[in-house]
Amino acid sequence: MRILAGGTDLVPWLRDDLITPDLVVDIKRLPGLGDLDVVDGALRIGALVTFADLVASPLIAKFLPMLGEAAGTVGSVGIRHRATLVGNICSAVPSCDSGPPLLVHEAMVHVIGSEGGRVVPIREWFLGPKQTVLDRGELVAHVTVPIPPVPRGAAFVRLSRYAGEDLAQASVAVLSLPEGEWRVAFGALAPTPVRAPAVEAALSGRQANDGAIADALRLVPDAIAPITDMRASKEYRMAMAGVMLRRALHLAETRRAGAGPAYGTAVM
Amino acid sequence: MTDVRPFEATAARTLEVVGTAATRIDGLEKVTGAAQYVDDIDFGADLLHAAIVESPHPHARILSIDTSEAEAVPGVVKVVTGEDFPFTFGLYMKDRYVFAQDRVRFVGEQVAAVVARDPKVAKRAARLVRVEYEELPAIYDPLEAVGAGADLLHPDLADYPHVPWFFPHAGTNIAHWRKTRKGDIEEGFASADVVLEDTYRVPRYAHCAIEPHIVVGLYDRAGRLTMWSASQSPYTQRHLFAEALAPLGLSDKDVRVVTPYVGGGFGGKAGVSMEILGAALATAVQGHPVKVRWTREQEFYNTYQRQGLVAHVKLGVTRGGMITALDHTLHWDAGAYVEYGANVVNAAGLSATGPYRIPNVKIDSLCVYTNLPPGGPYRGFGYSEFHFGLESHVTRVAHAIGMDPVEFRRRNAIVEGDTLAYGAEMNPSGIHEAIDRTAAAIGWGEPEEPTVPGRKVGKGFSLFWKAPAMPPNASSASFLKFNEDGSLNITVSGMELGQGYLTVMAQIASEVLTVPTRKIRVETPDTDRNPYEWQTVASHVTWSCGNAVRAAAIEAREKIFDVVHRVHGYEEDSLYLEDEHVRCSTDPEFALALRDFVINGLEAEDGTFKGGPIVGSGTFMPEFTSTRSDPETSQGGHPNVHYTVGAAGAVVEIDPETGKMQVRKIALAVDVGKAINPSLIEGQITGGVVQGLATVLYEDMRFDDHGRLLNPNFTDYKIPTARDIPDEIVPIIVEVPQPDGPFGARGVGEHTMIPAAPVVANAVEDALGIRITSMPITAEKVALTLLAANADQE
Repeated sequence: MRILAGGTDLVPWLRDDLITPDLVVDIKRLPGLGDLDVVDGALRIGALVTFADLVASPLIAKFLPMLGEAAGTVGSVGIRHRATLVGNICSAVPSCDSGPPLLVHEAMVHVIGSEGGRVVPIREWFLGPKQTVLDRGELVAHVTVPIPPVPRGAAFVRLSRYAGEDLAQASVAVLSLPEGEWRVAFGALAPTPVRAPAVEAALSGRQANDGAIADALRLVPDAIAPITDMRASKEYRMAMAGVMLRRALHLAETRRAGAGPAYGTAVM
Repeated sequence: MTDVRPFEATAARTLEVVGTAATRIDGLEKVTGAAQYVDDIDFGADLLHAAIVESPHPHARILSIDTSEAEAVPGVVKVVTGEDFPFTFGLYMKDRYVFAQDRVRFVGEQVAAVVARDPKVAKRAARLVRVEYEELPAIYDPLEAVGAGADLLHPDLADYPHVPWFFPHAGTNIAHWRKTRKGDIEEGFASADVVLEDTYRVPRYAHCAIEPHIVVGLYDRAGRLTMWSASQSPYTQRHLFAEALAPLGLSDKDVRVVTPYVGGGFGGKAGVSMEILGAALATAVQGHPVKVRWTREQEFYNTYQRQGLVAHVKLGVTRGGMITALDHTLHWDAGAYVEYGANVVNAAGLSATGPYRIPNVKIDSLCVYTNLPPGGPYRGFGYSEFHFGLESHVTRVAHAIGMDPVEFRRRNAIVEGDTLAYGAEMNPSGIHEAIDRTAAAIGWGEPEEPTVPGRKVGKGFSLFWKAPAMPPNASSASFLKFNEDGSLNITVSGMELGQGYLTVMAQIASEVLTVPTRKIRVETPDTDRNPYEWQTVASHVTWSCGNAVRAAAIEAREKIFDVVHRVHGYEEDSLYLEDEHVRCSTDPEFALALRDFVINGLEAEDGTFKGGPIVGSGTFMPEFTSTRSDPETSQGGHPNVHYTVGAAGAVVEIDPETGKMQVRKIALAVDVGKAINPSLIEGQITGGVVQGLATVLYEDMRFDDHGRLLNPNFTDYKIPTARDIPDEIVPIIVEVPQPDGPFGARGVGEHTMIPAAPVVANAVEDALGIRITSMPITAEKVALTLLAANADQE
């Protein structure tokens, strides 16, 4: 059984016989799945919320601008008007653009099913390429993302083959929080989007200066496990992960200070 | 030049329509969606659909085919295999099979087909056709395929009929070997101060037209075969269909090809590729139209691909900056069947000197069979491929003697009257004007600052040339007829591929007859109605068909003047046309509206009528070409009608950390002889530049070790979007007339993509000091090459 919301992954997979579900359930007309609001200090993003909704949302721009930055890199304008954030984490391809931002924001995935509901921290959500903890008979109702404390700064940096519609060759999300807390996650550089706790520890309590960044970059190779595929070689991904992290750290730090280029400015 | 046609009389007076940016005559219907393409045509409830059973192996013997399960599926009308159609076909060499016979030679090759009432049923049933194979060793690399002991792909090569200018080597995988020799190559290198040699690699590419290939065939009960085809070549298709299906009793007169608008071709819809299936299947289900429509995946792996190339360039120069010798060896990965692609190899083998005056030349161009999809025509026809290596090399050799690469090109560029590598004379050209204007446009020699600190800026330069590659007798024809209101219908059989051909034909007729283009319809081909055209390829239709249309218009004008002379007595050479009226230079009062007599004739004083419907016909064939030459040297013939030349240069900004390149500016100057419609030429330059840049920056066809194409889709075969184009494209039109062209025009369509790859390669070297010798030059390749170079230095 598969759930259809935007269908931008599901329909091509069906057409190419990559999946052969016995049942496809279209949830687009189900009530209560389209919320995009603030509940208990967190943004609630319903299963039907598209990336275009995120790009246009004042709440996202105010509280989670880096998630909006990532949303704006997904596919093309047309794709973003159908593809949903929840669908993106359910498809769970290693390059999914919502993975790294949700990881650094420590989002919670709210699952409902015939046996009742459960809440899964995003760090436990991804099991492997196209694999999650979601069971048959379950669907994701929404994702909640805690509003981070101020001052904060963040950056989503993405590498792709060109500026047009493309899947990420690699991506990095960085979140800079008060008291020198840094959070770092990578996409398309391992079987799933991954947090990089060792990298975060090396940065903890420090400014993103040359020394801190050098310490962080040394730990990148152990934080990721890139492969060679159609989109990039392992060597290029490995080399770019460091370049991207450095640029993302600079961006996040300057943004935390209220400066730096606006969210959505491409730096690759 | 020979055969100077008498257009100067009209060219001498002021041109009214030729040379203006006339509005496209097909523009409104395309913008509004009214334009019809093959898949828009309603074929009614009897329409059947075909699905193709494809080879999963790159090279295998077919042991058995069992169609019984597929035939039992409800809705299936017919299942056919190679046994039903044991025929070969091909444009220049008959080496391609309607369906695979005893063996398959590439992944995706058609083995059988299912015809059903519904496309889904056909697809489902095609999966039930059981084919038993015995796998054979497969070869993908052309150098391996010509090596000792390589397995033969075509043991029957000696038996394939082919055109007289091909030289197959039976018992090898070399389907054609073009040798060109001029001067004394040893002497040439001996007299050089610097000799540089290197190998350059160019992968395969796909055309990526918006409209995939499609054909609908109807073999009616009266024995007529009508084909609706998305094609660049209706007449050539008609003849190839008739030729291949002659054993079924079909002849040329029985076959009708209708080609409505086409959604892009770029060479991919020239000749006959998948369309043969529509013709064959139609005969299997007589009385029912049957549609064969390629998916995007099939579009990639079973039409034509641009051939891969391994080019070895050895260039000798003097310290004074003159080229003394060129030894250029081209091994083409031509794929499983070379019926069309071998002529790409031939064209390159004649012209791989590039637009340079070189006294001593040795070119070997080898067409090599491999177990990859059939190679074939693609915009540039081999020239883009060899220019990558040659124009990279020219910049390198200039650096090697410490000379500015643009100055080096100026000194060695070929000019009118120079002797070409095969002995004929070079036609008029404005190559030096193209060089100077391009260099000025990109500020050659002036350093520029990057827009972002840390990035590097480089400039690249390249010349280019190309001649149409055609049989020596490729020809065009046109019919033209006046209507009661003085409007015109013109029929031709060139194809409107988006380039604006119909508009240009209307402008030419308009110039001669003074009828405005808005009162002219030029109709897309139907071989029952429209006269002959060889093909819309080789950038030759403006030149060739333009001459035919001009001849038809002149014939009509002569008939007009004749009847006016007979009724009014004015001498014919005193008559001229102006604003749709006949006027007379000796009687300013005289003015006769065309609409008043072009159908019903002129009333004479005695009440009788003279004249009648004014129609014109025109044909054109270049009567000075010949492919007869010495197979060991290519000396003696005149295989090419003319070369179109030009120059291109770019300013490229590069992020050395990521390898990302942004083309800030690219200028391209091309000598079109006469710009019949400058706006359409600017469109050709813009489109060609973007298509050329795509092949060097983004596109990358990848095959696995089983010969299977890994990226037959736009997810992973990247063609540029609106966000991936240069910041600025500067089109530069040079006009040194072609004496035998309509109003001095020569071809321009393909040329504009040729220089893009070497321009980028040269700009990358200028910016970063690294030389990349294989395409594509992706950001990844630049970054990794630079990292490796830096590691070497440490």
